[in-house]
Amino acid sequence: MDIELTINGERTTVEAGSADDLATVLRQHGHIGVKCGCDGGTCGASKVFVDGDVRMACGMAAVDADGSEIQTVAALGTQDDLHPVQQAFVDNFAVQCGFCIPGMVIQAVALLDSNPDPTEREVREALDDNVCRCTGYQKPVEAVLDAAERMRGAQSVAADGGHSATVPPNGNESTRCCGGGCDE
Amino acid sequence: MSSDDETPTADGGTASQSEAVEDGQSEEHPLEWDEPENNDKAPDERASVSHRTEKYDDRKLVTGQAKYTADYEEQYPDLAYAAVVRSDIPHGRVTDIDTSEAEAMDGVDAVLTPESDAVPDAKYTSAGQSYPEPSPWDMHVLNEHVRYIGDPIAAVAAENRATASAAAEAIEVSYEEDDYVTDPEEAFDDDAPQLFEDGEVENEIVGHDYDRNRMAHIGGELGDVDAALDGETHVHETEWETIRQSHANVEKHTSLAYTNEDDRHVLITSTQVPNHTRRQLAHLFDIPIRDIRVQKPRVGGGFGGKQAMVVEPIPLSLSLATDRPVLYEASREEEFYAMRSRHPMKVKAKTAVTDDGDIEAIDIYALSNTGAYGSHGMTVAGNVGSKPLPLYSKVPNARFEADIVHTNTPQTGAMRGYGAPQGTLALEGHLDEVARDLGLDPIEFRRRHHMEVGDLDEIAGMMGGEGANRRIRSCGLDECIERGKDAIGYDDLEQPDEDHLHRGIGMALSAQGTGVAGDELGAAQIMMNEDGSFHLQVGGVDIGTGADTAFLQIAAEVLGCDEDDIIVKSSDTDVTPFDYGAYASSTTYISGMAVKKAAEDAKARILDWGSKLLGEPVEALETGDGTVYSEASSDSVTLEDIGYEAAYGDDEREHILGKGSHCTEESPPPFAAQFADVTVDETTGEFEVHKLVVAVDCGVAINPGMAEGQIEGANHMSYEMAVSEGITLDDEGRAEVADFDEYGLPPATETPPIESILVETHEPTGPFGAKSVAEVPTNTVPPALSNAVRDAVGVRVREMPITAEKIKAQLDERNP
Ligand code: FES
Ligand code: FES
Repeated sequence: MDIELTINGERTTVEAGSADDLATVLRQHGHIGVKCGCDGGTCGASKVFVDGDVRMACGMAAVDADGSEIQTVAALGTQDDLHPVQQAFVDNFAVQCGFCIPGMVIQAVALLDSNPDPTEREVREALDDNVCRCTGYQKPVEAVLDAAERMRGAQSVAADGGHSATVPPNGNESTRCCGGGCDE
Repeated sequence: MSSDDETPTADGGTASQSEAVEDGQSEEHPLEWDEPENNDKAPDERASVSHRTEKYDDRKLVTGQAKYTADYEEQYPDLAYAAVVRSDIPHGRVTDIDTSEAEAMDGVDAVLTPESDAVPDAKYTSAGQSYPEPSPWDMHVLNEHVRYIGDPIAAVAAENRATASAAAEAIEVSYEEDDYVTDPEEAFDDDAPQLFEDGEVENEIVGHDYDRNRMAHIGGELGDVDAALDGETHVHETEWETIRQSHANVEKHTSLAYTNEDDRHVLITSTQVPNHTRRQLAHLFDIPIRDIRVQKPRVGGGFGGKQAMVVEPIPLSLSLATDRPVLYEASREEEFYAMRSRHPMKVKAKTAVTDDGDIEAIDIYALSNTGAYGSHGMTVAGNVGSKPLPLYSKVPNARFEADIVHTNTPQTGAMRGYGAPQGTLALEGHLDEVARDLGLDPIEFRRRHHMEVGDLDEIAGMMGGEGANRRIRSCGLDECIERGKDAIGYDDLEQPDEDHLHRGIGMALSAQGTGVAGDELGAAQIMMNEDGSFHLQVGGVDIGTGADTAFLQIAAEVLGCDEDDIIVKSSDTDVTPFDYGAYASSTTYISGMAVKKAAEDAKARILDWGSKLLGEPVEALETGDGTVYSEASSDSVTLEDIGYEAAYGDDEREHILGKGSHCTEESPPPFAAQFADVTVDETTGEFEVHKLVVAVDCGVAINPGMAEGQIEGANHMSYEMAVSEGITLDDEGRAEVADFDEYGLPPATETPPIESILVETHEPTGPFGAKSVAEVPTNTVPPALSNAVRDAVGVRVREMPITAEKIKAQLDERNP
């Protein structure tokens, strides 16, 4: 059947069988920022926003998304103008192979939208179903805490959405958290 | 178990402590190294290396634009999808394959069985190693004799994934079942079922005895271990056991094959070893090497699991049969039962130690379960001894032996650390116990014995022949220990208020290698564009580690340009020079040195042009800030002007090109000191790991940010080895895990904070002083955590994983 989706701001009509999951359909339409690392629901790589909620696209029937607004990681920022969360991942060396990163970034953005000042524990809890084999979570957690700080800073001093203006020249040196020793 | 067997080693392995060694020098392995002038730069002279340069592909990765193998799908509208039928019995012969139902299904393009023309008949090893391959040729692409639950039997191609899976399920396989064996010790029994007939395997390995399911036996000895064990010393013996760990790369094994308009066979594939894969496919399919092209796009993690040709022959066979491009993406379940895993091992450690705490002898024996096939079996087992033992190379007598046995269990292979984690657990756990038994501080005990700059490591020679001894020219172990101790708070540990809670700290040392001595090649070339920018083509393989960025930094340091002025293209066998691939911690060291040489070569041409344009001798010129400049005259000319002049100038035009190849007899060890801080509940055995600290000497870190990332990721993998069950098997050798939830990778909330500390030394044989970093921190958490538990409550867990139940059982035994 034909379903209507608004993907990253663009309205499209796509064909989807009743057995097709949303991840497959999005990928077939070129949205390769939706990754598939498992066969459903256990890695978090396929996370997208569906009407503002984080969903694992692999675990959702495409037909159930009919009429929805979808955002993939590609909607958050461009290579020249990264979202503060994306920028923080880059500046903190939180990206290795990068396969899990779209899902992580989506989850981190969702967290900071609802909780702009999370503790390290809260960040870890938010990322708990995002499997990353490369990083040991240390730098991703630091990146999310760093992004939170940047976004709070941006809110208080800038009206431009915080894109890059508040990024320190050497984000890494100045923005490490406690060095891994916090245990709240 | 094997002491009465003969011990064939590459060399009898009895290198002696010669006089030359005692005075710290030998002609063959001098301490002084003929280092190129510009290799050792002080930190403030470095323009590009050892800076936290942004990772080359990061912006693409965080915006989801980067392409991994499966992302090429949309470029091939005619694409078919593969699925594989795998054995569901542990051992037997296929008597019949009924494909009729599958073939009749709509949308099915091809069904292949071992009999099909498109399926190669040749034997091979999946291990992606140097040539001649040090692994036995013991497997087929599709098998009639199946040896584990997961062995591939048939393959289908269909127009979509769902049809391919349905067709695979519709195929009926009949078997004649054989007895099977899954326990590595039982596999030695005279009446154990035999996996291979003698003579059935090609390229067989030293010490094989297929009547006893033994794929190889290796070993070596320095001095006289038995005499030392019989002497006036304390003899201690302990036995350790490690898990069957999954690589758990988030991107599954994925490979796309087609034949292009030039009749050349192209594989876009998630691999660590493009050149080895090309050679292996040529052998299997009897196609000239030149007619195969292997392209590596972004790779979503390898960790050794993709240092193997695990899936590529399937889509290639299917594309030959269907004349269509074919994509094969393993399922997550297949990742756990039919791809590769870390060799589970039992390792015995024995030492002779004097009353004063001098170690007289170390004796290690490993029993490695290689599973149904022998890929990486011998070489991984060799590293159980050859990587950790050099830490204590001052010990006069040392022996290492290993048996590598077949069982009807899933296939093992290369995995980050490559045998060193198993050996490090045994050695570092054992020595810790010895120190505590003798009432010595375990850290001071190690300090007394560990390797130092100037030492000659004869363990490498013991395993690989006397010529393979290596001189240690950089070693930061003392600083690793000191800074690690500080960071973990070793000297002012506070005990919890509750009486039943006890806090302890454990530490472990580790050494690895950097590349395989004498057995690798990396190559690179650099082309200068007419605008003064560069194209760097390098065979070195970035599988997510940031290698491309390290290459850029090395090239930019030499050329004196901005990293942004270099485009890097890595790993496409049609375009990039030869390289052995991303493994053995070799990428920055071997391929990076090739890049450095290529850059030096290009720089020589650039300086020539600079000399012409500035009218000054080459010796007076240097590159920097995008220019060629003369300190004497303060004149300079930009690289852009040189690029333009060389391409469009009046006379003697030239395309400025540089090339470099690198191979070496050296394999300098990086070092690490690991600390774990744990609190154990004496009443329940439950424990909490508060923090992991690991200090690593990787020489000069080409990119400290990336190096820390490598260390922390490796330490997480090591932590998993200490606390997770890994891939558990049922009695028939069937993997009991199908997805990430069941596998139990420690998630973010269950991973303690990991602090990485970079200890800088200078390795004169490496590019700008670099050694490797990615593997050494994979070895150390199991022993450090076992040692920490021992420190906290006095009991010792030797069988991984460390669990509350095991601790509790030992506490109960102690206080019945
Ligand atoms: S692919 Fe969707 S959660 Fe793994
Ligand atoms: S960066 Fe590789 S899986 Fe997370």
